[in-house]
Amino acid sequence: MILDFFLRKELRKFPFFFLLLFVTLFLGTLGLTGISLVSNQVRDRLRDNANELLTSDIAVSARREFTPSELAGLAEVFSGMAHRRYKVVDIYSMVTTLGDDKARLVEIRGTEETYPYYGGLTLRAGTRKPAPFYISKDLADLWEVRVGDRLRVGELTFAVDGIVEVDTSLGIRGFSLAPRVYLPLEKLVQSGLLKPGATGSYAHHFRLEGLSSGKLEDLKKEIYAALPDPGIKIVLPEDTSEQTGRVIDLISNYMSLSGLIGLLLSLVGVFYLYQSHLIARLKDLCLLNLHGLPKSRIVLGVVTQFSLVFLLVLVLEVLLVVPGYRYFAPSLSKTLGLELSSDVRFSSFLLDYPYLYVLSLSVLIPLLLGLMRTSMGLQLKASKLSMGRFRYFDFFPFALLLWLFSCYLANSFKTGNIFFASLALIFLLSTLLVLGAQWVLSKLLRSKGLLLPTVEYGIALRGLTRSGHKLTLSFLSLALSATLISLILQLDTKILGEFVLDHRKPALFIFDIQEEQIEELLSFTKGQGQELEGVTPMIRGRLEKVNGEKFGGRKRDFDFRSREEDEDATARNSGLNLTYRGSLSPAEKIVDGEPFPEAPGDPERLPGISLEKRWAQRMDLSIGDKLTFDIQGVEFEGQVRNIREVKWTSFYPNFFVSIEPGFIEAAPKTYLAVLPAGARGEKLRFQKSVVEKFPNISFIDVEELITKLSDLFTKSQKAIGVISWMSLLVGLVILYGLSHDQVYRRYYDLALMKSLGFSEGKLRANLLYEFGTLFLSALCLGFFLGWLLAQVIGKEVFKLPFGVDWSRILLPGMGLIILCLATILLSSWRAVRAKPKELLSDT
Amino acid sequence: MMKVSALKKSYGQGSSRVDVLKGVDLEIREGETLALVGKSGSGKSTLLSLLAGLDSPDSGTIQIGGQNITTLDERALTQFRATHMGIIFQQFHLVSTLTAYENVLLPLELLKKPDARDTALKLLSDVGLKDRAHHLPSQLSGGESQRVAIARALATRPGILFADEPSGNLDEETGEKVMDLLFQMVKETGTTMVLVTHDPDLAKKCARTIHLEHGGLL
Repeated sequence: MILDFFLRKELRKFPFFFLLLFVTLFLGTLGLTGISLVSNQVRDRLRDNANELLTSDIAVSARREFTPSELAGLAEVFSGMAHRRYKVVDIYSMVTTLGDDKARLVEIRGTEETYPYYGGLTLRAGTRKPAPFYISKDLADLWEVRVGDRLRVGELTFAVDGIVEVDTSLGIRGFSLAPRVYLPLEKLVQSGLLKPGATGSYAHHFRLEGLSSGKLEDLKKEIYAALPDPGIKIVLPEDTSEQTGRVIDLISNYMSLSGLIGLLLSLVGVFYLYQSHLIARLKDLCLLNLHGLPKSRIVLGVVTQFSLVFLLVLVLEVLLVVPGYRYFAPSLSKTLGLELSSDVRFSSFLLDYPYLYVLSLSVLIPLLLGLMRTSMGLQLKASKLSMGRFRYFDFFPFALLLWLFSCYLANSFKTGNIFFASLALIFLLSTLLVLGAQWVLSKLLRSKGLLLPTVEYGIALRGLTRSGHKLTLSFLSLALSATLISLILQLDTKILGEFVLDHRKPALFIFDIQEEQIEELLSFTKGQGQELEGVTPMIRGRLEKVNGEKFGGRKRDFDFRSREEDEDATARNSGLNLTYRGSLSPAEKIVDGEPFPEAPGDPERLPGISLEKRWAQRMDLSIGDKLTFDIQGVEFEGQVRNIREVKWTSFYPNFFVSIEPGFIEAAPKTYLAVLPAGARGEKLRFQKSVVEKFPNISFIDVEELITKLSDLFTKSQKAIGVISWMSLLVGLVILYGLSHDQVYRRYYDLALMKSLGFSEGKLRANLLYEFGTLFLSALCLGFFLGWLLAQVIGKEVFKLPFGVDWSRILLPGMGLIILCLATILLSSWRAVRAKPKELLSDT
Repeated sequence: MMKVSALKKSYGQGSSRVDVLKGVDLEIREGETLALVGKSGSGKSTLLSLLAGLDSPDSGTIQIGGQNITTLDERALTQFRATHMGIIFQQFHLVSTLTAYENVLLPLELLKKPDARDTALKLLSDVGLKDRAHHLPSQLSGGESQRVAIARALATRPGILFADEPSGNLDEETGEKVMDLLFQMVKETGTTMVLVTHDPDLAKKCARTIHLEHGGLL
């Protein structure tokens, strides 16, 4: 009987409510589970990819050979666990062809026999054999080298055993600073290239069975403790993935956040819908209570009702998501450039649902407690029924679960906390604002008549000030929905901005150009019908002092060392490339400080320094700091004059540190330049002709990489667009539900006003005034807060710059207001036209 | 003067069709107080809703002061109701977001009456609620709410007042006090009143009582 009342009869009597509830829950959870499913797959694949990039589970490296005591320390750390290990040495050196003596700078990788533990090399030509000598396809194409041809490396010569087509350790970037050749480690030692003073990377790689990433982090700390030299770097697969998969990371984070926003929007809707429904059903619930049904069982009935809707949502989603994912997996793999498995792990997919169910149910707790607090017997005697009021701390379980879920979904406490704290602040701010505005307005209206300037507007204003917590709740729901919609739109714009490549796509990145070659190279290039761009000097240096104090000597805090600190420590201990130029490149923008002066000015003034924004942040450097560089043995001091943002995806020569012209031009330097994209045949011909004339100049072919990235960006834009629109759709359903509910609540008021002489036009005007003011203020506030939140999340989570896109605020905001008002008018059409006879006792 | 001729009203369709009013003829003199009594479902409230222009009949005419209100369109009917009629409901039906004073002020300002504020305050004073003028309906008792509703209904000095079970939601003692007030004010203003009630004692206060049964007058 009770189940029949709460399930079948209710469903038949209020199909619109259940339909709206179902759609709201369905869209909110579908977005989240669908996104979560894809994210998990991407994350799994990234983890595999990361291992392939590193080629092992953990690598310990230094820019010098390890000392015997360090090796002993390392052996001690690993002595307690089953492991395998090999050593890899990377060094940059010249390789020459025999006969015509063509020379190139290449990256020489000396490996032991068991290399690599993960991933591998795919050969285009040649055969696999022990102790092989392989070269990359770039080098082979450039020199037209075939298998069996001989090349000189240091004091040894080698016959090419194979040409590498795919090298999984190069990852999505697809290139390193120079073409790579592989040879056995003992041969590299014999070549004489590793003589004392030569700078290479000496890495010990380990394979460990069954160690979780948490244990690997512990192991990393243990190694740092055993090998205290700050020059020693420890890399885990995650670190490699972090460095190479920023695009995928960005998409993955955005997906998680969008899913969470979609879910939250739907929960706002669920709360609001249920609140209206319970108020509408209160009389019947009171009657049930009067006839002996305890309140606890009424609450149970409501919970059962909600659970059934959730179950239906779950069933439909299982039916849709799994085949949907299988269908889209191949194109998704192509889009993301990762081979995703089309097998769905039901366990990970279904595991989200219990939590989603509890979270969704927890949003109803304040309403259920309100129901428990209702004096049901008294309600039936009252002229107007009112439900027991909920209290704000009734939302505590929901808030706690939401916080946990935010952290879980974002896979980071920081992101989860930022998101949750921002929402809590927005909630608090909106509540204070609406209560304050109501208080001020009620004071102003107290001594005024209803003609303000018309009766319908006067009544509308009073409706806004005196509707109590119902209006506060409507305002909060609207403002929160608008905030989340605005957040999605703003983040979408910000992230899409990251995925726009410069229209001037370079084909070749040219470096190692000597100063005396510049003029000749430029005229030679012109003679070839080509033109070089972005010709920039590059000087090697090292930051020695900041404001007179030694830089980089900071003592490590092993217990609290994060990944970011690792990167900082590495950067602090490394040299860097500088340039000098007076003007900005097209990919640069000054975000703080002044540009370099055009005239030299005061001779006592320190030379100006321009820093890249993120690098300056990592190094704790700011405008006004005095920096001292060691430029190949000569000390140079300057002062930070401005901070630049650099669009690295321009693929044009850009630097972390740029010095004001007129001070370091005399330092030994090489030049960089780019060749703009053109026909592929021309590019190869140009490359060969330049190599013949200037054998020392090196090239990186970036055209293929840029095309790949451009393709990935285009597809990512589409994916982000779909996700954004899905979240927006949830928001629109909620706003429709809210608008519709407002009219439902006003049904009797409309009839009453009509009986008192209000024409239909006046009634519509009254609705438009009241809800127009409500929607306008809530949506304006929401859009503003959403924009603010997007700046915080954009900066803290996605590391994106501050910015305003008014078209993403004004147009959708206006559109939403018009949509809500149209909903009000449409929903009220019947109510306004209806005869007010229902006010009478027998009807 | 109100004249009702051959007034018919039915609800539903086909086999579920119910003829609520089957041709009612009725005349009410100016300043007369008339009680409409009858069992539940006899059609009392339906007749009241038609007389007050809250609903439209299937056929028949309703003449009020020489105007057949059944021929008026929605806009004209609304205007006519605002100018010539006052209505009191069993459930009081005060606008919940307006104070007692503003509820009384509402019909006056809607008609842009001069001295609307003074009139509203005087009416509230007449019903003994001057001190409660700035209270919201939720802060008023049932008796107080109905007194506000009476003041509101009489605010524009309508020619005719319709009251639908005006004491139905009040306890006996309060109901009696409020109804005495209603009749006193109706008498003082010379307003015609049509009152629907189940209460024989209340009906006796009216100058004339008519009984409805099975959709017709007895």
